[in-house]
Amino acid sequence: MKKIYLLFICLLSISFSSCEKDDICEATTATTPKLIIEFYDILNPLVKKNITNLALKEINSTASLVFNGTSKIQIPLKTNQDLTKYSFILNSTDVAIKNEDFLLFNYSRQTVFVSRACGFKTNFTLDSTLPFIKTETSIPDGYWIQNVVIIKSNITNENEIHAKIYF
Amino acid sequence: MKMRYMPKFTFSILLILASFLVIAQNKKTDSIPSKIEKYGIRFGTDISKLAQSFYDKNYKGIEFVGDYRVTKNYYLAGELGNENTTVEDDRLSFTAQGTYLKIGFDYNSYENWLDMRNMIYLGMRYGASTFSQTLNSYKLYNTSTYFPEAPTVQSGEKYNGLTSQWIEVVLGLKTELVKNVYLGFSVRLNRLLTNTKPDNFDNLYIPGFNRTYNGDFGIGFNYSVSYFLPLYKTKSSSKKESKKK
Repeated sequence: MKKIYLLFICLLSISFSSCEKDDICEATTATTPKLIIEFYDILNPLVKKNITNLALKEINSTASLVFNGTSKIQIPLKTNQDLTKYSFILNSTDVAIKNEDFLLFNYSRQTVFVSRACGFKTNFTLDSTLPFIKTETSIPDGYWIQNVVIIKSNITNENEIHAKIYF
Repeated sequence: MKMRYMPKFTFSILLILASFLVIAQNKKTDSIPSKIEKYGIRFGTDISKLAQSFYDKNYKGIEFVGDYRVTKNYYLAGELGNENTTVEDDRLSFTAQGTYLKIGFDYNSYENWLDMRNMIYLGMRYGASTFSQTLNSYKLYNTSTYFPEAPTVQSGEKYNGLTSQWIEVVLGLKTELVKNVYLGFSVRLNRLLTNTKPDNFDNLYIPGFNRTYNGDFGIGFNYSVSYFLPLYKTKSSSKKESKKK
């Protein structure tokens, strides 16, 4: 009889130890993808070109994302709106030569289930007719972005290039 | 993720199996005099689900349990239940609601003394559940912190007509508290056989099966109070037992 109670306690402890939470979204899980842009030389379109002190600022945000010495950047898109407008400022640290262009991305959003721990993510599909709009700032300083080419309009992961910018 | 709790569970199972061995060894030295074996039907309810329905506003559940003694050690056993539970996780909130049925057998490995009728049993069940899930709200996971985190999205989307089938390995105890009234406890290791998942969502909680992890395995348990209704009696002795073997 004593043994049966001992077993009761034993089984009880299992039932509680199995209630542990293991609901952490792993960092390796693919969640909401960023837009991947690669930069190329306009004079030599097959050659990648590094940008210098490229500051990206979404027009309604105060913070900037700064990239330097790379030809590939990742930029987040808004998950609560079908468009995101960024100001692309090349050579942002040098007042004399800095140049600002606007790029607005048009897209539709798809909500996709990932897992219990991660919840949902947003995938994007760039608009087929007008995926982006390039505009000049109020003080015209000429476009530094010569050409934008959409490589992949379905933005579902960060392993592929979605757009190429030639400058 | 599954790997994290499995070793602990396996260890616990081993611990129990070890205690079985101890009991089995004791048995050899015990003499078992002839005794009356009662056969009948036992029915009851899971008190843990009943209790949780009172203290947990997100849970309503009931489970009826029953078994019928077929031979000296074998019992035909089953559970019938209904659950309605709302799970509020960090990233999402959902409600699962449905009915389930489990049918199988229990094998009593405990040799009782005299007129005791306790059980330490191992059993198996086939389980089936038909249920619905409602996604109440969710958050969008974004590794970028450039934009402020998007507010929680209220959904309310309902996924109907979901079904799952599974098998369970049951390890349990039943002890007679007062005449013909039993207190029982069991743990169950479940493995999904079929699972119809909704589009763009997953069956995160299956009534009867319990919560699902990333794989096909699940864990469940129940505490039951049941009443034994004796139908007929037989006489058995330890000598007869040894001849049979």
